[in-house]
Amino acid sequence: MNTIKPPVSPWQMKVFPFFTILGWVFISAAFIVGLFVLTPNTISYLGGNAKAVRDAAEFGTPLLAQLKTITATPRWLEPLAFLGVASFMVGIALEFSSIPAILKNRGEVMKVCFPLLREHGGNNES
Amino acid sequence: MKVNKSPFPYNMIEKMMPSFGRIAMMGWMIVLIAVLVGIFVLGPAQATFFSDAKAVREGAAAGSAFVQANVSRHIAEAWVPQFKFFGLGLGLMAIVMALGTIAQKLREMGIVITNHMPKDLRSSVPAPPKTVRVFQLSTLMGVMILMGVLVIGIVLATGVVPSYWNHSIASELNPAVVGSTLLTQLGVVASFSKWLNPLRLFGMAFLFTGITLALTVIIGTLRLQAGLLVKFYQQATTKG
Repeated sequence: MNTIKPPVSPWQMKVFPFFTILGWVFISAAFIVGLFVLTPNTISYLGGNAKAVRDAAEFGTPLLAQLKTITATPRWLEPLAFLGVASFMVGIALEFSSIPAILKNRGEVMKVCFPLLREHGGNNES
Repeated sequence: MKVNKSPFPYNMIEKMMPSFGRIAMMGWMIVLIAVLVGIFVLGPAQATFFSDAKAVREGAAAGSAFVQANVSRHIAEAWVPQFKFFGLGLGLMAIVMALGTIAQKLREMGIVITNHMPKDLRSSVPAPPKTVRVFQLSTLMGVMILMGVLVIGIVLATGVVPSYWNHSIASELNPAVVGSTLLTQLGVVASFSKWLNPLRLFGMAFLFTGITLALTVIIGTLRLQAGLLVKFYQQATTKG
């Protein structure tokens, strides 16, 4: 008698949710910082000050601090958002990588089950 | 073989799923159009604008070739990236649709095999998991967000962007004073990408989640069917 078992739960299925959640966290963080930090600062800096005032801003002034925020933050925020995309892709790749083992098991199960299906069944009643 | 029909609007989604090839092609064509706009509109506009000294191009009056080129490049930059991401979104949607079709076919095959088992050894095929609905809705949400972003991009490209840039930089834009329409418009023109770009990725996140969940359904279906076959095997061999 053959011994067959259903496929064991692959380790990838335990790990992939972590990467999916990480993807959501990074992308949401980028969206929140963009919406609540960068957008108001950009509107306030560019839309609330004439060019002459902006250009004349001295060291230590709030205007220069705003300029620093709106120019420096996107340099790390955009890569963070793309790290989120990469995390989603790792999760997807992990899921795909679990399929071959499941299909191998499916083949083994079918190999022993088909003779029995022919022997016991063979009809196509619903 | 009897496969239960899904309720509205899922029946519509499921009916559309096999046309993933057409959707993928549409996404690819949209990205191709973005490339062509880059080559034939954005590139030449940039080249025209930067073809002379800073003092000349910034001093050019409204209606001149320089100002027109400046308007064209800013218009293209307002809608083309959103259009491109919409194309990518359609590509990702096509992947989810293909995975959904695979899951559907696997289920149909499972029902066929179960129907070939003798009645006394036959296990009932469980209803499709709730995850199916979640991945369908997640995909729809992602595409709708990308479509919304594209609409916002078009509204900006036809409204505030040309309205602001269709002025001489040196004599109108730079001297704009606090409280003027021009300075308010500058605030909008310079800030929309700060929230619109992450929003695009937010839409993509829904699509990636759709792919992830569709794969979970396929893997779950494969494991469940193997489990049903093992159960049948054990019962059939015990029965002799």
